[in-house]
Amino acid sequence: MSVSEPQVTAAGLPPDARAELDRIRKRYPTNEAALLPALSIAQRVWGGWLPDEAIAAVAAELDLPASTVYGVVTFYDLFHQKPVGRHRIRVCTNLPCQLRGCEEIMETLHQELKVEEDEVTPDGRCSFIHFECLGSCDTAPMMMVGDDYHENLTPERTRQIVRGLK
Amino acid sequence: MSETFEPVLTQNVGRPDALSLQGYRKTGGYEGLAKALKMEPAAVVEEVKKSGLRGRGGAGFPAGMKWSFIGKAKPRYLVCNADESEPGTFKDRLLMEVDPHQLLEGCAICCWAVEANTCYIYIRGEYTKAAAILERAIREANEAGVLGDNAMGSGFKLDMYVHRGAGAYICGEETGMLESLEGKRGQPRVKPPFPAVVGAFDKPTVVNNVETLCNVPHILTRGADWFKSIGTDERNTGPKLYAISGHVERPGTYEFPIGVPFRELLDKAGGMYRHGTLKAFIPGGASAPILPASQIDLKMDFDSVAKAGSMLGSAAVIVMDDTTCLVRSVARLAKFFNHESCGQCTPCREGTNWMELLLHRLEDGQGSEGDGKLLLSICGHIGGQSLCPLGDAAIGPVKSLVEGFWPEVEQHIRDKRCPFPHRRYFGNGAH
Amino acid sequence: MPTVTIDDRTVEVAAGTNLIDAGLLVGVQIPHYCYHPRLTVVGQCRMCLVEIWDNGRKMPKPQAACSSAVTKEGWVVRTDTPEVHEAQRGMMEFFLINHPLDCPICDQAGECALQDYAFKHGVAFSRFRFEDKRTYPGRERIPLGSNVLLNMNRCIQCTRCVRFTHEVAKTGELGFFNRGARVEIGTFPGKPLENHLSTCVVDICPVGALTSTRFRFAERVFYLDKKPSLCTGCEVGCNITVEHRRGKIKRYKPRFNPEVNDYWMCDYGRTTFERYAQMPRLQVPRNGGVTSGTIGWKEALDQAARKLRSRSAEGAVAFLGSPFLTVEEAWLFAKLADAAGSPHRSVPVDRGPTWTIPNLKGGITGIEAAPNRRGAELAGLTPGTPAGESASADVLDHDALLAGDGAAQCSVLVVCDSDFGRAAWSPETVERLRRARFLVVFGWADSPLAKVADLAFPVPTHTEKEGTFVNVEHRLQRFAAAYPPPGQDRPLVDVLVDLLSRFDASWAQLPSPKTAAVFDKLAAEIPAFAGITWETIPATGTSLHMPEAKARLDTISAERVPERD
Repeated sequence: MSVSEPQVTAAGLPPDARAELDRIRKRYPTNEAALLPALSIAQRVWGGWLPDEAIAAVAAELDLPASTVYGVVTFYDLFHQKPVGRHRIRVCTNLPCQLRGCEEIMETLHQELKVEEDEVTPDGRCSFIHFECLGSCDTAPMMMVGDDYHENLTPERTRQIVRGLK
Repeated sequence: MSETFEPVLTQNVGRPDALSLQGYRKTGGYEGLAKALKMEPAAVVEEVKKSGLRGRGGAGFPAGMKWSFIGKAKPRYLVCNADESEPGTFKDRLLMEVDPHQLLEGCAICCWAVEANTCYIYIRGEYTKAAAILERAIREANEAGVLGDNAMGSGFKLDMYVHRGAGAYICGEETGMLESLEGKRGQPRVKPPFPAVVGAFDKPTVVNNVETLCNVPHILTRGADWFKSIGTDERNTGPKLYAISGHVERPGTYEFPIGVPFRELLDKAGGMYRHGTLKAFIPGGASAPILPASQIDLKMDFDSVAKAGSMLGSAAVIVMDDTTCLVRSVARLAKFFNHESCGQCTPCREGTNWMELLLHRLEDGQGSEGDGKLLLSICGHIGGQSLCPLGDAAIGPVKSLVEGFWPEVEQHIRDKRCPFPHRRYFGNGAH
Repeated sequence: MPTVTIDDRTVEVAAGTNLIDAGLLVGVQIPHYCYHPRLTVVGQCRMCLVEIWDNGRKMPKPQAACSSAVTKEGWVVRTDTPEVHEAQRGMMEFFLINHPLDCPICDQAGECALQDYAFKHGVAFSRFRFEDKRTYPGRERIPLGSNVLLNMNRCIQCTRCVRFTHEVAKTGELGFFNRGARVEIGTFPGKPLENHLSTCVVDICPVGALTSTRFRFAERVFYLDKKPSLCTGCEVGCNITVEHRRGKIKRYKPRFNPEVNDYWMCDYGRTTFERYAQMPRLQVPRNGGVTSGTIGWKEALDQAARKLRSRSAEGAVAFLGSPFLTVEEAWLFAKLADAAGSPHRSVPVDRGPTWTIPNLKGGITGIEAAPNRRGAELAGLTPGTPAGESASADVLDHDALLAGDGAAQCSVLVVCDSDFGRAAWSPETVERLRRARFLVVFGWADSPLAKVADLAFPVPTHTEKEGTFVNVEHRLQRFAAAYPPPGQDRPLVDVLVDLLSRFDASWAQLPSPKTAAVFDKLAAEIPAFAGITWETIPATGTSLHMPEAKARLDTISAERVPERD
């Protein structure tokens, strides 16, 4: 889910997002089944996270109770309820990556970005967290930046990648 | 046997033109589907049954038998399980990124066999690249008339969609997946009813793993007998992808006839990382009990691994050398299961939480003598009693640690600290 | 219908019956938290695990009884094996490791399923010794709405409350948030738990996570006397339990009646007992207004009889009924009106908010803010004679008395209930009704009307007496006293029989208990009650014989509000 500046209108989803959602809705026999794609779209529209108004907008769009939509948002790790910066970095720290030095990658990020885990840098550029297995154990240690996988990391490569983020 | 083995599922690795429909067709792609469409659906099911193909997602349930259970109501659905979140598993990602049409063909044949007109490929949200590749392949197949309203001119309507998950391991459990597909929290359902009768949107549904479905075109083109000729015995047939990681020189996905001895797999992966000494290995993902180095000649098929006290699961092999603290490793897996527990049922929600706390305490040297017995007792109260198999999965590594590697745990307790230093892989940040 | 054997007791059940319900049929209580007969089965709490042998073959794992439905012959179930006991002990341990030791300050103590099952199925010590309990900081006393408070630390995540708001109340305010050990229930910001059934979630919460803001810290439940009764908030007639300590009511709770309110009642109904303690109470018979002295019962009744006899010459004798009177009391007032030769009798009723109480037949909707307008009118308090002759235009009904100048034409005006409605407390009403020459008031409340009455008779509240009400669906329901009345209150039925005996001595022969005898007499007289006797009224009530009304009600959907008949 790439991130841009929030394009919020008071009426809810902007027209192009609504059009995208309408195309996707046709894939499913129920309204509710479009919820995960709808939240993905909304998260993109709202700049990488889902404030209450985004959740209310999606709930209204799909005619679902807000409590239900909120329950879905809080269940999944890829939906965020607070700002995460323009680039969300997820470092896998599960066992195969732990066996190949993922902690040193976490240390490197902490030193480089000068923030704690899950904290956004003051310039709003990025935040990093540890994550569970990303399905790239053969290229451990590795991390996701936004939608992209960065594999076979070393501390130096990690620093290079981070410094290249705008 | 392994020397003469030609890759089946990974035959298109290193052939970027296989990504396109045209390129895929060049080496016989979609001939399996063409053949299937000329057969009776029941005959296709029979062929897959005969092949002995067992689910490659972890449970090892015979695929043909699963297809034959499909309920009578219509419409029916196929949901391809591409959620691949089991720690140590990355084989499905390879198949989808490198050979998407192989998966589409397998799904299409399955849809024909169970008379399902819609297939959803539920792919984990983190696999953005694979999802895009699949979407493109589906678009191509639709435009070429291979899929769509009139699949290959057969009159059979077949719609395929990619549905992206949003980050939850429990959505790899078939009913958790169905709930998530329906737009809800991915909380597993009570069974019965089984998905074959009440599945997606209350309709009969087959749920199969990516690798399982990728075998199907080959079974159709080359025959069930050919498939059966590969493997250990008639209960463990066909080619298998082994995803090996951890302390090996060349981690990666390797295809073998099912039942390859672990020693051979380790060898293919370049042997131990930096010439280390093998201490233990996990044969089938985070839920599989840990096996000691003495099992190095174990045949990696479903039955042999089960007899050895573990499970082949998804064949996600994690190798650990003797610098590894097993307590720390199991504590990390316990943390994983705690994080991924959906929270519905009491034993898993509370039990995985408790086990993580206990194991971290043990790792930090603050454990006590009775902790082994306590852990086993907790495992006993979770196993067989949780609402879905995640509870059973969570206790696998813990039980194997206490029952198979107790001296190491005891050392933590006695020494009041972890005897294994944290290993540095990258020096002081030089390279 | 398949049979199933549970702990050696065999029973035939409808196909699809789950094992918890089947167990109840043979007296086997399978412990459970998340299961509720009116909510979808989720099989989450895992407390109800039992062992099942399917035609001799034991199922390899214990099964949740709530999600195991009997569909065929040959199931043998055991809830008492060592394996089941071990599972229950393990499950109780899991429930308690993160549960706060709040019993000393928790409302639920004494009616807590966690306490009860821990005692019955758990162990007396904890193995959770060095870890920190999971807590939800800042979520210890969160108002979910105006009536319900949440303490998330106590929650056992059974999701009954969430399912209730979505499936029964159909308002969906509550949700299940987060994943794993941090799951919690809550509301979406800006959408609090506000529906007319909101307090029902407190009833169904097995622990003290959800508490009622009105009842919180009010009383220890083991000091409460619990007596069955009926709610008087509206015409639905929800069955309730009056929970009191020595006559001070602390709360109402709904009582199961599948024909009326099922397991539920509305929030407003739960507040209707409060007025009994808040409003001033009439406790002694009075003669000549509140400033004058008290009077003995005999003297007061003699005076009333005298006044009622000296009628038409000086003006009309009118009876202002009340929809809070029981059928028996209303019938006796009608007899009194007969004795006084008065056609002026009516029952005013306030219109309340429209609440629908869900049940398996589509629910019952009430719009009248009192329980027994229909019963009082059927008993004879309609303009005209009890024979049902239609009212003439000159009848002094409640419109004439309360909105017109009818009282001024009365030589005697009898107000049957000093708390007949909202109007009873307004100065305008008092002024109008006081225009009657002689004002007699019966009631529990020392209302402004009672204070200016020439004769005031103290009688019990509905929780202090027995009687019957007729609800919106013409269902007759019987209720009994929860505790005795205070002061010199005498049951109104006894008082009226006493008064009537001054007109016709045969009334004095009426056997005790008087209410039963009065009911049997009126049932013999009124066609709608034919064949019903006091002793044989079923616990869930019984329909009156009103085919036209019943046929019309059958076609009323839950959405449409029934018209006044």
